[in-house]
Amino acid sequence: MKRFLCLFLLPLLMAFNDVPLADPALEARARALMDEIRCVACENEPISQSGAEIAGDMRQRVRLMVEAGESDAAIRGWFADRYGEFVLFRPQTTGASGLLLWGLPFGGLLMGALGLALVFRQRHKRRGGVEIAAIPPDAFDGLPVSNQVSDEQAGN
Amino acid sequence: MIEVGHMAAFLALAACLVQTWYGVRGNRAMAAGMAYSALGLMSLAFGLLIWSFVTSDFSVALVTANSHTFKPLAYKIAGAWGNHEGSMALWCLVSIGFAAAGAWRLRTGRREFEAKALGIQGGISVGSLVYLLFASNPFLRLDPAPLQGNGLNPLLQDPGLAIHPPMLYLGYVGFSFVFALAAAGLIEGRIDRDWAKATRPFVLAAWVPLSLGIALGSYWAYYELGWGGWWFWDPVENASLMPWLLGAALLHSIVVTEKRGGFAAWTVLLAVLAFCFSILGAFLVRSGVLTSVHAFAIDPLRGSLLLAGLMAYGGAALALFAWRAPVLKGGPDWQFVSREGALMANNLVFFVATITVLLGTIFPLLAEATGRQMSVGMPYFNLTFAPIMALLLVGLPLVQGWSWGAATPKLHWMRGVSVGAGIGVLVLLALWRMKLPLGAGVGVALGLWLVYGAGRELVRRAVTLPRIFALPARVWGMSLAHLGIGLFVIGAVVQTSGRYEQTVALQAGQSVEVAGWAVTLEDVRSAEGPNWYADRATLTARKGSASARLLPEKRYYPAARMPTTETAIHKTGFGDLYTALGDRREVDGKTIWTFRIYYNPLIDLIFFGVFLMALGGVFAAAGGRKARVTASQPEPERKPDPEPSGPKILEPAE
Repeated sequence: MKRFLCLFLLPLLMAFNDVPLADPALEARARALMDEIRCVACENEPISQSGAEIAGDMRQRVRLMVEAGESDAAIRGWFADRYGEFVLFRPQTTGASGLLLWGLPFGGLLMGALGLALVFRQRHKRRGGVEIAAIPPDAFDGLPVSNQVSDEQAGN
Repeated sequence: MIEVGHMAAFLALAACLVQTWYGVRGNRAMAAGMAYSALGLMSLAFGLLIWSFVTSDFSVALVTANSHTFKPLAYKIAGAWGNHEGSMALWCLVSIGFAAAGAWRLRTGRREFEAKALGIQGGISVGSLVYLLFASNPFLRLDPAPLQGNGLNPLLQDPGLAIHPPMLYLGYVGFSFVFALAAAGLIEGRIDRDWAKATRPFVLAAWVPLSLGIALGSYWAYYELGWGGWWFWDPVENASLMPWLLGAALLHSIVVTEKRGGFAAWTVLLAVLAFCFSILGAFLVRSGVLTSVHAFAIDPLRGSLLLAGLMAYGGAALALFAWRAPVLKGGPDWQFVSREGALMANNLVFFVATITVLLGTIFPLLAEATGRQMSVGMPYFNLTFAPIMALLLVGLPLVQGWSWGAATPKLHWMRGVSVGAGIGVLVLLALWRMKLPLGAGVGVALGLWLVYGAGRELVRRAVTLPRIFALPARVWGMSLAHLGIGLFVIGAVVQTSGRYEQTVALQAGQSVEVAGWAVTLEDVRSAEGPNWYADRATLTARKGSASARLLPEKRYYPAARMPTTETAIHKTGFGDLYTALGDRREVDGKTIWTFRIYYNPLIDLIFFGVFLMALGGVFAAAGGRKARVTASQPEPERKPDPEPSGPKILEPAE
């Protein structure tokens, strides 16, 4: 419910106090960061979308830091130090949790592929090198056989 | 009246118990009869519940809590399931309905198997009904009855949201019946081609409504919440995405089981997991571990009961799987480069993608248990889920024509170059026309690649263009779904990277420019509906000779004491001009209104893409039946079909 209230208190503040940075490139960077920083007063909302007063202050802070030439990582770090890592929608890559979160998807894919390949090789060896017939996918689709063409004929 | 419904629900519980008893003992006729009886009884119970809402019978506690006499009739009806208790009643009805559908449609010739499936589904219905009647009873009276109800959550007073929950439940509960079929097959030790042929339509019967339900929810979030976005990686959204992904994986894996008899254990495991993730989704949404608009049952007891149910059913299923899976036989041998190999890769990606969503969804919960507060949001999913799925989509057009057993892919340089050049030109055109960043170009190229692949596969199968309409419905289903995912990718990429957003404060008569449109505020007036009143702004948008009037509203529902935004959207043909009305303020004696104005290019492709996927699912459910049969063609030799009415299957040379 809080999440919706943030929207309905939609803010003149925002319209008036939010002065975009003069440099469009810097403003784009600031906006990208605002999409990644969580409003501390709302439910699951980035500060870029939130109407809460504190979100406005946080946006202002992002712009100031971007203008001062701070790196994205430094800005994220500043917010994490001040409000806790809770405000980072992009979880940190450091530590055991970072490794698990960011490593598992890609590592899982890689390990899965390797594991399947190994299992497959073993199974294939066990069964011996019998020649395997190629059956075009159309063979089961119910079209009369005379209509079927192999991959080669269809030019695939 | 409602007591009759209450009684009927109890009788339905009894019928489901008897159904389970006879089903597990292998008596199909009795189990089927009980399934039909339970359906009749539960329909009566749910019908009477709806009737209490229609007649605004405020002596029923649930009606008082969730309805109001001023509400339009359609939303009185939808109010019956727009709350925890009522939606659980709908859940039970769907669960029983699937058992009845199974009793009616399952014709495998294996009565033992069918009886067991009905029995297991009966057991699931028993669990749901016990939970309904003892932990979230919608049939309770209120004494004394108040004169007026509290009204439905106004956010739910919307046509999209009225049918969103039933669709999702068809999906979630549908997977419970797929699970019942898998468990019955496991007990029999026969997960073979006949099993797959019988089961696949039920997978589609769950997956298609789930797709539509998710799309409806997403579309609702888009036009109702006023944020201009359509997917927020909210835990509740993720809870529905995970079973959908597993269902999609299952749809691909069960094809191998159906055509070749292979992947039997994996297919069954996916069926079990899809069911577990459906209950997990219900648990996440209902237990109060998440806070969101969906979490209308914030009650620890209910949460723990759901978790216990998940553990009991999921644990039993996995134990059954571990015990019986070694009995299952595989299909004929295949090489790595083959249709089987491609579908195995497909399933690996779907599975890892599901685990990624699960990880991102529950990680903050796990961290909280260790006393750490953290968030996992959109950037995480965009950087993990999206590239992993992209891998699958890049490969799809390349491998879709591969043969079973052993494929001999050939490189066609000329075609590769011409397709690449064509897509390149289109992408450059898109980048230039819509001023998108280069990264988006890669996404658009991927989408176009998929669209090309879908069309190419139709032509390849038909050999000549006019014959594509003679292709079986099933091939069309596959291609439509793949076309849908291509359009979805294009829409998602262009909308995400090309959208334009502005918050403005306007006086009457003032203008602002958004994505080339000059938007002028004419005035803001009061408006009134059956159970709300509103401020309604009139905006005029002009671009060249085109013009449009937009009427965004800010509504207030006095019964629920809650405001909502009603956005106004103008479809320009290439995208949506989207306006939401914000607050009003007096500044220097002048009235100023804030607006959020967005331009969302190609956003309709997102929803249309999902719709095509669902439509493809409907076509695919039609099976291998021929779209048209030409009598003049010589009939090839066939093995006799075990089931005369079913699709003809040519046995593979083994």
